[in-house]
Amino acid sequence: MSEIRKLAVAYAALLLLLVLTVGSSFIDLGGFNSGLNLAIAAAKAAIIAVLFMHLAAAGTLPRLAVAAAGLWLAILFGLTLAGQWGGAS
Amino acid sequence: MSSDVAMRANYLEEGAGPRAWLLTTDHKRVAWLYLVSLTAFFFLGGAFAVLMRVELATPGGDLVSDDVYNRLFSLHGIIMVWFYLVPSIPATLGNFLLPLMIGARDLAFPRLNLASWYVFVFGSLFALFSVLAGGVDTGWTFYTPLSTLYANGFVSTAAMGVFIVGFSSIMTGINFIVTVHTLRAPGLTWFRLPIFVWTIYATALVMVLATPVLAASLILIVLERVFGIGIFNPDLGGDPLLFQHLFWFYSHPAVYIMILPGMGVVSEVLPCFSKRPLFGYKAVALSSMAIAVFGFLVWGHHMFVSGQSAYAGVIFSFLSFCVAIPSAIKVFNWSLTLRKGEITFEAPMLYALFFLALFTFGGLAGLFLAALAVDVHVHDTYFVVAHFHYIMVGGMVTAYMAGLHFWWPKMTGRLYSETWARVAAAATFIGFNLTFFPQFVLGFLGMPRRYHTYPPEFQFWHVLSSAGAVVLAAGYLMPLCYLGWSLFRGARATDNPWGATGLEWQTASPPPPHNFDRMPTVSQPPYAYPMKGLEHERFSPHKDKVRETAA
Amino acid sequence: MSASTQSVAFDTPAREKAADAFGMWVFAGSEAMLFGAIMLVFFVARVSYGPAFAAASKHLSLTLGAVNTAVLITSSLTMALAHFHADAGRWRAAVWTLMATALLGAVFLVIKGTEYAMEFHEGIAPVLGAPFAFSGPDPVHAAFFFSLYFAMTALHGLHLTCGILVIVGLLALSRGADPSSRARRVQAVGLYWHFVDIVWVFLFPVLYLINR
Repeated sequence: MSEIRKLAVAYAALLLLLVLTVGSSFIDLGGFNSGLNLAIAAAKAAIIAVLFMHLAAAGTLPRLAVAAAGLWLAILFGLTLAGQWGGAS
Repeated sequence: MSSDVAMRANYLEEGAGPRAWLLTTDHKRVAWLYLVSLTAFFFLGGAFAVLMRVELATPGGDLVSDDVYNRLFSLHGIIMVWFYLVPSIPATLGNFLLPLMIGARDLAFPRLNLASWYVFVFGSLFALFSVLAGGVDTGWTFYTPLSTLYANGFVSTAAMGVFIVGFSSIMTGINFIVTVHTLRAPGLTWFRLPIFVWTIYATALVMVLATPVLAASLILIVLERVFGIGIFNPDLGGDPLLFQHLFWFYSHPAVYIMILPGMGVVSEVLPCFSKRPLFGYKAVALSSMAIAVFGFLVWGHHMFVSGQSAYAGVIFSFLSFCVAIPSAIKVFNWSLTLRKGEITFEAPMLYALFFLALFTFGGLAGLFLAALAVDVHVHDTYFVVAHFHYIMVGGMVTAYMAGLHFWWPKMTGRLYSETWARVAAAATFIGFNLTFFPQFVLGFLGMPRRYHTYPPEFQFWHVLSSAGAVVLAAGYLMPLCYLGWSLFRGARATDNPWGATGLEWQTASPPPPHNFDRMPTVSQPPYAYPMKGLEHERFSPHKDKVRETAA
Repeated sequence: MSASTQSVAFDTPAREKAADAFGMWVFAGSEAMLFGAIMLVFFVARVSYGPAFAAASKHLSLTLGAVNTAVLITSSLTMALAHFHADAGRWRAAVWTLMATALLGAVFLVIKGTEYAMEFHEGIAPVLGAPFAFSGPDPVHAAFFFSLYFAMTALHGLHLTCGILVIVGLLALSRGADPSSRARRVQAVGLYWHFVDIVWVFLFPVLYLINR
């Protein structure tokens, strides 16, 4: 696929996901709404990263940076929430 | 050969005057810019410490009022942590040596490097302003809700100063990470790198991943104070404890930012002055990375009594014990490096050996603190103060001195007075122990930290500590004199006065502007001591000097 | 030593470009930690005060938020096009697409500013001492929501503003530059711009779509 086509497809997909996320917020899915919205956001982020930022073509180092950031955010959230909600203090 | 050294243009001679220094992109000159700023802050923070120790020599609050004392210890902490310790070895020795050690002409982003210094200066001026205007009294830890709702010092200014300096950290970290990945000389695989490079790399990782979280916590404090946004205010639904999580998520890894480069220095100095290869090189390299990673998992040990869940307390306690393991591995490896070595006691080696002793001692004290039940009793006492000063001063500052002396001939092309250096080193060791060992006793006996009045039965230990501080201060002031003097009158150094391995020693002292006349390639493991053909030769900078004058 | 590398350390522009990209990704990683930390604060509050946050979120303008998201996504498209053109040496096309990107960024800021003005006017902006008049059941925690909303969107807006300024600076400083330097700079700015877009992609549902 030529570069322009890739960008166009990415753009269309992003707008579609936007419609999806706004639309689904009008349907009451209980707690699942938040999860769905975050999943859609993650999908959008992935499209931007891979197709606009060329993450796949950039070699191992940028992917390592992304993985490290993801892991460290998990540590930040995980252990803080264990401290906040982990039971009796 | 040594007479040629003085003839070639080196980085110090190329371009004189303020513009050539203030607009430089040469990593070696940027290192000097940092060195000057950091030295100034070290002595400023030290001055506050001296005032505190003078006050603490007597039980009553006679020298300063409560409020002034609060500001003294807060400023001592803020300045020492953020304007000296965090940048110290990375921004001075790291900046100078990293490209040299990997065989590169400069860092990956030289202008970013210079910019990081300007950001540092700008941020530290903010903080200086808050010092001159009256200071802050929240402690360097800025705990909410004191800092956001009740403190009436210049919290926002100080916090903004630290925030800005944090960006300097991040910029340096990015530069170092990219440099190590992309600019190593041909043949210089990861497991041929000097340990100093490994530790600087690990430090850079921590800087990049931890500092932003500090930035977030400081932004939120400033937003609360200045714009009235109530993030940590319990009345508005906020949780003050959340601040502590964000703050310590950075500040615990920050102590590894401070100590890892020191460990790197020691890993270079010990092999050189015992003429032995570093024992267990791979273990030391991987342990450095392990410290950087595990260091992110233990921050809750600062919060055992804060109200976090007991479950989390147990996890953090266990993980804190685990994080001691890679440090212990390194201590064992350093010790074994000395075995059957031909040990000489030049100043860098003295400092490195002191590091080994004091870091071990302080680290063991850390294990006491990691034990939940013990920490409940000694939290917020002088036991904690003693522990972190053993690591930060006994460890980190000692290692900085070791590195400064070890690479001084390389950086300046001059030799310092070995006699004075040894006297200063001895003074710091004696002064340090006299200052901080009594503080372990004080903490155990129940003396709280951040108090300047205390029951008379504690005075004996406080007087010992204050006396030690005088000796320690002398030990730190001496290098200003003899190192400064050596810049003008010191004997000229050869390329490799210590007979050390490492690419930085294969080029002139001081190096040419682009580091190497011919870019090196590497085909050997590091620490190839003792060097071929020179097994029994005792290298001494002064012996070279004698040879030079005789020639 | 190549004359067209910025740093004397690199032997070829290609290697420098790759290192530049890696550096920007590392920076993006650090920024992720920054926004992540504030998201954590929001997350804890959101879970603690679910109903108040849901009720407060309804007062944000979904239309303007959604339009703004579309604006930023489009700006990412134009930025990606700029990178594509710059890499191919089509500098004029790159300039147009860069200007479009900056313009779309400015549009975002204007819309955001309009939202802020509306919120102040409606009395739901508990910042800078402005009066807070929330008609829902839990005004204290609703105020907390709005505090976080302002903090998070302002921080994002600040990053966006910096991005716009950098694009303008890049255009000004790249007039006489050689093609490889231009391509390298556009790549760097692009990576930053897309990252700021990704931050908004998460902020939008988290703030605006709590429970409609």
